[in-house]
Amino acid sequence: MSDPQFSNEAAVRVKKNKSTVLQRNRDPKLGLKVTLGFIVALIFISPIIWMLFVSIKPNGFSTTQPLEWFLPPYTLYNYVDIMFGSLIFRWLFNSLIVAVITTVLTLIITSLAAFAISQMKFRFKNFIFIFFLLGLMIPGEATIIPLYEVAKSFGLIDTYAGLILPMIASPLGVIILKSFFDNVPKEVIESAIIDGCSYFKLFYKIVLPLAKPALSAIGIFTFIGSWNNFLWPYLSILSETLYTLPVGLPVFNSTYSQAYVQPMTANAIASIPVIIAFLLFEKQIVKGISFTGIKG
Amino acid sequence: MIKKQWLQDLKAIPFLLPFFVAYMIFTIFPIFKGLEMSLYDWTLVRKIEFVGLENYVNMFTDQHFWRTLWNTTFFVILTTPTMVLLALGLALLSNLNTKLKIFFRGSFFIPSILSVSVISFLMIFMLQPYNGLVNNVIQMIGIDAEPKWMADQGLAWVTIVVVTLWWTVGFNMILFLAALQDIPESLYEASEIDGASRWDMFRYITLPQLIPIGRVVLLLQILASYKVFAQILLITGGGPGGATRPLIQYIYEVGFNQNNLGYAATMSYALFFILLILSIIQLKNQRSGEN
Repeated sequence: MSDPQFSNEAAVRVKKNKSTVLQRNRDPKLGLKVTLGFIVALIFISPIIWMLFVSIKPNGFSTTQPLEWFLPPYTLYNYVDIMFGSLIFRWLFNSLIVAVITTVLTLIITSLAAFAISQMKFRFKNFIFIFFLLGLMIPGEATIIPLYEVAKSFGLIDTYAGLILPMIASPLGVIILKSFFDNVPKEVIESAIIDGCSYFKLFYKIVLPLAKPALSAIGIFTFIGSWNNFLWPYLSILSETLYTLPVGLPVFNSTYSQAYVQPMTANAIASIPVIIAFLLFEKQIVKGISFTGIKG
Repeated sequence: MIKKQWLQDLKAIPFLLPFFVAYMIFTIFPIFKGLEMSLYDWTLVRKIEFVGLENYVNMFTDQHFWRTLWNTTFFVILTTPTMVLLALGLALLSNLNTKLKIFFRGSFFIPSILSVSVISFLMIFMLQPYNGLVNNVIQMIGIDAEPKWMADQGLAWVTIVVVTLWWTVGFNMILFLAALQDIPESLYEASEIDGASRWDMFRYITLPQLIPIGRVVLLLQILASYKVFAQILLITGGGPGGATRPLIQYIYEVGFNQNNLGYAATMSYALFFILLILSIIQLKNQRSGEN
């Protein structure tokens, strides 16, 4: 779980793959396997491709001929219509605001705590670290009913703050960042302290920049987790204008049972940002998963 | 020296405090709050009266509790082995020596970054009888059938399981893929010199090397499956006739539709202990894998 040198490991991996190409004999059944892989990959991605094609069909389009879904005419009118003619744009905005603030706050508080545990000397340090570790074992789904009461007593039900604050104390983030901070060379830290650097300066000028890979992995997972979070917003938000997309979409989609175009356009609007995020940050996401081994 | 120690402690406080406060309020405190709630008759508006262990007694005789706990367990039984095998298979495909492997990996993984609401409604529309895409494809390839994917009890389970596999397998596939790429190439080279066939290599090198990560995937999957809720709520609504309703959905209905948060908190405790035991096993397993 805590291997702080995954970036090095990844570099070694790349080299290894190159040597594989050169040295191992060609697999005689490779063509067959690639064909199989291609078919399976196509099956996996086809619902998403279908969703995107339906979203650009003219309003009211329906067919029982599967291939016709993918043929022109195309239009982007549905996107305009839904963005301005429904609450989807508002929900998109809510999801974005909540995900961005959740990510920023998570990164701030987990890196501060991880820095203290990794670099500072204070009493009960081990006890506090183990206490934070315990959080890994507490399943949020099973404490969500009392969490509702707790949030209610703080006036957090039906607010942005209520969507954000309960999600930011990520023990996994502290653990990952601590193991990263532990690996900052001792000489760097010592010489900074001799130069009269304060702990805070040491934190944000020296240690934090070195932990960029870990910060980006945690940031991406927090963002995607928040963007897709369903159960907590479903419980804690009552006003339609404060819904996030995952809570709003079922409400929107349930009003259509036979029309395909509007629901699929709404789905596409909710998916395109994360798909773009995936394509941009694929490497960090893949590394982040194999690094943590724990769902985000 | 002692004087300096409390100065050091003081300096650490601003770093620790923000996390500590959020963690105490939203992670630790609800555990104790839940214990209190489970001992009361407690509605959405306020706590009514102390009832001692009555909620717990009710739970043990509540057939809906046992039914939904069984449904959740049944879901775990159905999804766990299939998930491990599918994740392994997809990882092997993504590890093939071809330029297409980036496409493979992306296709297998992208569903898992989509929201549960998106994938659920995508499936609802694709699986509709008469004009849904899936049934139309089935008829296009010449099978004369009109399966009711969400209304028939057996098919509803098939739908839930297949959708869950499709949606979440990507994550587990990446774990297998990373482990596959970590197997030292020298092992294969040595066996090649010894004249091993490709199947021998897979059977005697690849599979044994994947056992540690396989255990991690297995336990993570059991843990995640016990938390199943949203995709079932959205796709079948727990139906037909409560046949697929999971425990978390029942807890939600008791708390928020039947206005009985005390009893909902009691059942959450049952779930809490199941999950706690599983995650202790999981962490122990992961720890032993590291050493």
